[in-house]
Amino acid sequence: MPKSTQPGQEADVLAALYTRSGAAAYSVSADQFAAILEEVARKCTHESAPSPDDPADKKASFCATLRLEELALARACAAGNELAWQDFISRYRQKLHSMALHITRDAAHAAELADSLFADLYGINARDGVRSSKLVSYTGRGSLEGWLRTVMAQEFINRYRKQKRTVSLEEQTEEGVQFAAVPGPACTSDPRLEAATDEALAELSSEDRFTLASYYLDRRTLAEIARTLGLHESSVSRRLDRLSTALRKRILAGLRMRGMSHAQAAEALETDVRDLQLNLRSRLMQDSDPKSFPGKKVSAQDAGDGSTD
Amino acid sequence: MTEAPKIVYDRLQAARPQRDLPHPDADLLTAFAEQALSATERSSVLNHLALCGDCRQVIALALSPENIAPVTTQVDIEPVAATVPAKSKLLNWPTLAWPGLRWAALAAGIALAASILLLHPGRLNQQTPVANRQVAPPAPALTAAPPQSASSIPPSPLDRSSLEQPAHEPSATLAKSQLARLQAGRPTQPPASRSQQSDMLLADNRMGSSVEEKTQAAPAPPSPNLDAGKSAPQAANETVEVSGATALVETESSNLISLAQHNAPAIEKAKQAPPETEASEQPTSRTAYDLDTLKLQGRNVVSAAKLARSPNQTASSDVTWMVAAGVLQRSRDNGQTWQNVLRADHALLCYASRNADIWTGGRAGTLYHSSDNGLTWVQVRPTVKAGALSSDIIHIDIQDHERAPSEIVISTGNSEVWNSIDGGKAWDKK
Repeated sequence: MPKSTQPGQEADVLAALYTRSGAAAYSVSADQFAAILEEVARKCTHESAPSPDDPADKKASFCATLRLEELALARACAAGNELAWQDFISRYRQKLHSMALHITRDAAHAAELADSLFADLYGINARDGVRSSKLVSYTGRGSLEGWLRTVMAQEFINRYRKQKRTVSLEEQTEEGVQFAAVPGPACTSDPRLEAATDEALAELSSEDRFTLASYYLDRRTLAEIARTLGLHESSVSRRLDRLSTALRKRILAGLRMRGMSHAQAAEALETDVRDLQLNLRSRLMQDSDPKSFPGKKVSAQDAGDGSTD
Repeated sequence: MTEAPKIVYDRLQAARPQRDLPHPDADLLTAFAEQALSATERSSVLNHLALCGDCRQVIALALSPENIAPVTTQVDIEPVAATVPAKSKLLNWPTLAWPGLRWAALAAGIALAASILLLHPGRLNQQTPVANRQVAPPAPALTAAPPQSASSIPPSPLDRSSLEQPAHEPSATLAKSQLARLQAGRPTQPPASRSQQSDMLLADNRMGSSVEEKTQAAPAPPSPNLDAGKSAPQAANETVEVSGATALVETESSNLISLAQHNAPAIEKAKQAPPETEASEQPTSRTAYDLDTLKLQGRNVVSAAKLARSPNQTASSDVTWMVAAGVLQRSRDNGQTWQNVLRADHALLCYASRNADIWTGGRAGTLYHSSDNGLTWVQVRPTVKAGALSSDIIHIDIQDHERAPSEIVISTGNSEVWNSIDGGKAWDKK
């Protein structure tokens, strides 16, 4: 803990926190635990974390918000306490495998991911002869289980990227990456439209932008967004509806401010160059007669009416 | 839902966080996902997330599947304030009226329920103890869901309300018929549910433990020590107190350890006590103990939770088992004192008991069996053609299919499942 002006009071608070954490069961002394709390407070440099000049009660209230029991368990595991590892394995081993399966959707990859994370948590890699466990970076601000899920998700994304970079030439060829067609000229929108849209988006709150990006860009479900934001699904749905309507109005207003008439603004907003290309493409596809290609599969309906030859 | 203009997609995609700003670490993202950040921190994390697709992906992947179930969190009823111009506020007022109407409907429903309670206060009090007696014995019929789903069920209030509502008439009827059989002196053999098949319970299912504790404690028959004429409504009130105690277990994780440790013997007593009210009284009185003192007893968290939730510890009426610090321990005085019974070469992690059959397993495929309530032990080495069991045993299940010997199902740390239907002589690996 940071130094305080009231050492007696702080000692009492520390003792209470130490008791609450159950760190004694893992042979973590009160002094060691105090050092851990101090490190956590130092690490959380945000304003909600206490500074060295803060009164003891603020520090105490900050430390009281931490998951002390899980923090003690994590740090004891990082220190190599056997009992702590037994508890950790009992509590989280099966969950880690389930999490990995949920993330990777594949049993083999899940086992690999979970084992890899376990190795990181145990700290196989030694720096200067000292085993460095990933659990040291857990500060107890969220649940240990949630932290493990997040770390696993990060690990999964990192692995995915690494593997993506090491895709074989054959796979690249199959996927059309190696000999991809030269991209055509980029479809550029009206700069006034882009400016008006950027302006409208900039006026949104970060939560609204997050909601929009999660739904439209990441294709997250309402339930996932609701869970992340701590809202009800219906609230997210209403919010998206409201945001879409409001954005449309704002962009139209922005376009009118940039010299467009109402009709021009509406047309600029509704007409997308990509839509034109898409229409052209679908038009071309419609014009081509599937019967012209003898090798092509014939649909059941066509086969039924005997018009395939 | 109104679709956003396509240019919005493009501009959202084009937005990128500043390169010099670091990504939030796992701690911060976890705290954000668990709504544990202050408003300022949350805002700064949201600012980053709004622009950083990678971090959004991490957050989404880190959501556990059970967490994506409908949540009962705050309902956003202030949709217009921040982003919509003043003009559109007027246009949107009819949509604002809907949440208001819903709340009004909810309030009307609550008022209706309250008025029914006021008009017929006696009827519910009379029904409650009957319902409570009916909860646990027909567990498979009432709760067909596996333990994981049971753990997600909200605790006592839901159970009580569901029992009191006429919508659950079939369950109540079934329970009544079982009660009638019990009263007629015919022993009933309810099919074993998963919660009753094994008593190896891991500490990570703590939330579920309170549900099971309640279902075990609630149906306990009345104590002979108490007044024979003790009224049913009184029993009902005491059951409510047990629910309160278990709710406390759920709310405070640190308190949970000590409560779990301390409730366990009480629950065991409840199971043994013949008549109705003892079960409810024991946990209630014990919650008044000093939690910190209890925690300093130094018992293993895992063991405490196992002890608290063990459903099959009626093996021998006075014997309670637990695994602590890799050693199997036994108590013959409802958890007051413990003796080491079995210490293997490798640490033991779990156990299961049914009657005099005790199975315990641990690291590196260590598996022991006792058929005489722990007096003698035989090491069992499950083997199939592909090889022997060598991974950590983290769960043992004794499934009672009304035959002897029971089926033994073992789960390992690397997700293998081994089972034996002949008491451990031959094994299958799934």
